[in-house]
Amino acid sequence: MSEVMTDEQKEAFVAKLRKEVGSTGTPTTARDPVNQPMIRHWCDAMEDANPLYTDPDAATQGPHNEIVAPPAMLNAWTMIGLVPRVNDPKDPASGVYAMLDEAGYVGVVATNSEHVYHRYLKLGDLLTGTVKLVDVSEEKQTALGIGHFVTTETEYLNQHGEHVGSMFFRILKFRPGTGRTASTGGDGDAAAERPPRPRPSRNQDTDFFWQGSRVGELRIQKCLNCGHLQHPPGTRCPACGSTDMGYITASGEGTLYSYVVSHHPRVPSFDYPLNIGLVELEEGVRLVTNITDCDPDQLKVGMPLRAWHMQTHEDVSIPVFRPARVPRNPSTLTFDEVSVGDELPLCPIPLTPTLIVSTAIASRDYQDVHHDRDMALKKGSEDIFMNILTSSGLSARYIGDWAGPDAVFKNLKIHLGAPNYPYDCMTMSGSVTAKREADGDDIVEVSFRGQNSRGPHVTGTVDLALPRA
Amino acid sequence: MTLKYAYHSAIAGIGATPFTKDSGRTPMDQAVEACLAACEDAGLPPEKVNGFVTYSAEQNPEIELARNLGVEEMTHFSMVHHGGGAACGVIAVACQALYSGAADYVLCYRAFNERSWHRFGAGVQDRPAGAEASEVSFSWSSPFGLVTPASWVAMFATRYMHEYGATTEDFGRVSVVDRDFAATNPYAHFFQRPITLEDHQNSRWIVEPLRLLDCCQETDGAQALLVTTAERAKDLKQKPAVIASAAQGAAEDQHMMRSYYRDSITGIPEMGLCARQLYQSSGLSADDIQTAIIYDHFTPLVLPQLEEFGFCDRGEAKDFIRDGHLGRDGRLPINTNGGQLGEAYIHGLNGIAEGVRQIRGTSVNQIENVENVLATAGTAVPTSALILSQPQ
Repeated sequence: MSEVMTDEQKEAFVAKLRKEVGSTGTPTTARDPVNQPMIRHWCDAMEDANPLYTDPDAATQGPHNEIVAPPAMLNAWTMIGLVPRVNDPKDPASGVYAMLDEAGYVGVVATNSEHVYHRYLKLGDLLTGTVKLVDVSEEKQTALGIGHFVTTETEYLNQHGEHVGSMFFRILKFRPGTGRTASTGGDGDAAAERPPRPRPSRNQDTDFFWQGSRVGELRIQKCLNCGHLQHPPGTRCPACGSTDMGYITASGEGTLYSYVVSHHPRVPSFDYPLNIGLVELEEGVRLVTNITDCDPDQLKVGMPLRAWHMQTHEDVSIPVFRPARVPRNPSTLTFDEVSVGDELPLCPIPLTPTLIVSTAIASRDYQDVHHDRDMALKKGSEDIFMNILTSSGLSARYIGDWAGPDAVFKNLKIHLGAPNYPYDCMTMSGSVTAKREADGDDIVEVSFRGQNSRGPHVTGTVDLALPRA
Repeated sequence: MTLKYAYHSAIAGIGATPFTKDSGRTPMDQAVEACLAACEDAGLPPEKVNGFVTYSAEQNPEIELARNLGVEEMTHFSMVHHGGGAACGVIAVACQALYSGAADYVLCYRAFNERSWHRFGAGVQDRPAGAEASEVSFSWSSPFGLVTPASWVAMFATRYMHEYGATTEDFGRVSVVDRDFAATNPYAHFFQRPITLEDHQNSRWIVEPLRLLDCCQETDGAQALLVTTAERAKDLKQKPAVIASAAQGAAEDQHMMRSYYRDSITGIPEMGLCARQLYQSSGLSADDIQTAIIYDHFTPLVLPQLEEFGFCDRGEAKDFIRDGHLGRDGRLPINTNGGQLGEAYIHGLNGIAEGVRQIRGTSVNQIENVENVLATAGTAVPTSALILSQPQ
């Protein structure tokens, strides 16, 4: 039944899909109670170093008085795992998914996840999730393809019947190959036709620099007599007159000394608007470079940056910079020291295949599109892509690293846009958008966004309870 | 070191073609017209010229120009490096030739079709090309897309704004002043077309923080200046504009448009070097200057020039400008021809011609009681400057 349907057939099909809307499936109990090994895997994969999740001593001092699971793991505990298990045939959501698969809507992406946390999960909590089918949309044309959005709500109880949290969740089931464009926007096609960037010319005085870039090293000329560093390189030390010149390999850490955003004229080798920075390395010299993975309006003199090397020709790479990841805040912000309008530091998340696969597995999401490229292509995707639970987990890590370990998440609501494919970079940004008191808590609302080269991957909000001073 | 040729020479003749966007003529043809006009202005038969000075990027060789002008013998000819930075440098070199006796009458000139034949603002998209130092230097910027003059200047502007609290509106105020003077100069491209600060703020980004209205024009046209000794100038037709002094400057760790590696990049030390030489050799100071031609290829670098010449303190040019001191009734009206944003962009030579008119008292925007006029050359490159004075 994968042929295109008539309007009448469509109407009948939607009616069939919607038959179970409002009904609730059989409660599903997690295979394992909340446990330290799964938490560790999650924290490793997400690079979440909050000690309350893994360090018993720190946890005892914290607001929960014992080890807790990262709140964003909420729906990881009841995931069905790798070994295929027969879904509850009476589960209304599973039924809808099966009908859609059968009708050719085999592609799947999650688009929304809204967690509410009544309390943090502790070791030994055994979760039971009960899924309610909330809505099935009309057939819609989306960038990814023609499909239906399916919305569910899941309530989570522990073994004592305690209501610990809930999740509002929406996925798109779509027909592969029916998207609006071959790519999802971005610049894939333009990139293919783009001529290469101007090729650096080099000579005996400057070769070391480009040889370094080729192997991922940022090399700065150093006088071997007096130690003076200089860039661009010269043939003789301006400080002592020595001609004994060598180089150091810079750490790659620096700050933005000045910048421009180029709009006109447009050189075909580049994307515009184009961020060009003058970066001051921590070693003290400056160089002209590009600031990648950062919107023009996010550029600020003084912002911390980190080097990476962009391949521009078969045999040439050039050093460019992206925002540096700011270290985790080891103390916790108080409610009073946070103001509406405060901006969170930018945080780049390089999207390596390892990150995408390890986080999918750590969140127990064994959907093949998150780890198996062949299957991802077959299902209409360009490559494997990040699963939504990881988008939640990385968002929570970002917010938590800023707020500090004792900040308590009350909820986490995200909406997904452009997929996170490997070899891209997602840069997180955020700001404080509200402060209020609710149910005895001092709540700070943070709005955040994770943007990759194609556009926003994740946008969302979170309510955090922060301690009073 | 002291310049010995202070007050020795004078600009005795000025000549230009119309400034257009599409001349329909060769640059050589325009160069000849401008040079003949300068000679005629001075009342000097062109065959008496025996010196030629121009500056790099000039594509009209002085020997071919001499042939067209009927000049049979030349005893001085030179090319000054660094494009617009040499606009006053050509006068300095002419002074040196005249002071040393190497020439009697020197033509300084610039001619091009910088709009209709090639777009100067397109920058160096094809460079670097080779392994020579002049090409390799572009390897530190072109692979990152920093290929245009506007972008090179914008890098200084962002840092200047950061350190001193200047805004894009302060840059816009320079533009508004230029266009105000251009509006009353029939020779200006933007004659009768003044702009407001709002127009400036609404103009599109070229390279942030520079907008379209921060950038000079691209022009087809030619300008020539006839320089001779002050003594000989007395026998010519016009009141001489005496060259109180003219100087060149390049400073420590100087690069072409991209001196980004100095401890500070908010000043223009090479212009400061010119200022010191001019003031020392001429005995003049900022207080003696009534009006100035401040090189304005891009508005942001007008600000530190005012500081280098001591019209205001470091970082305070924005306040000087906000107080209206660059306009018609200000302390230092600048670019009374409309500047390179309003009149034409002849790499600074058209501005020097306006300086001559201010000394003669013939500017369409004449400032009262002009004794001394400052003119500066292209910034961010090795540069130059001069002061013109009334004959004694």
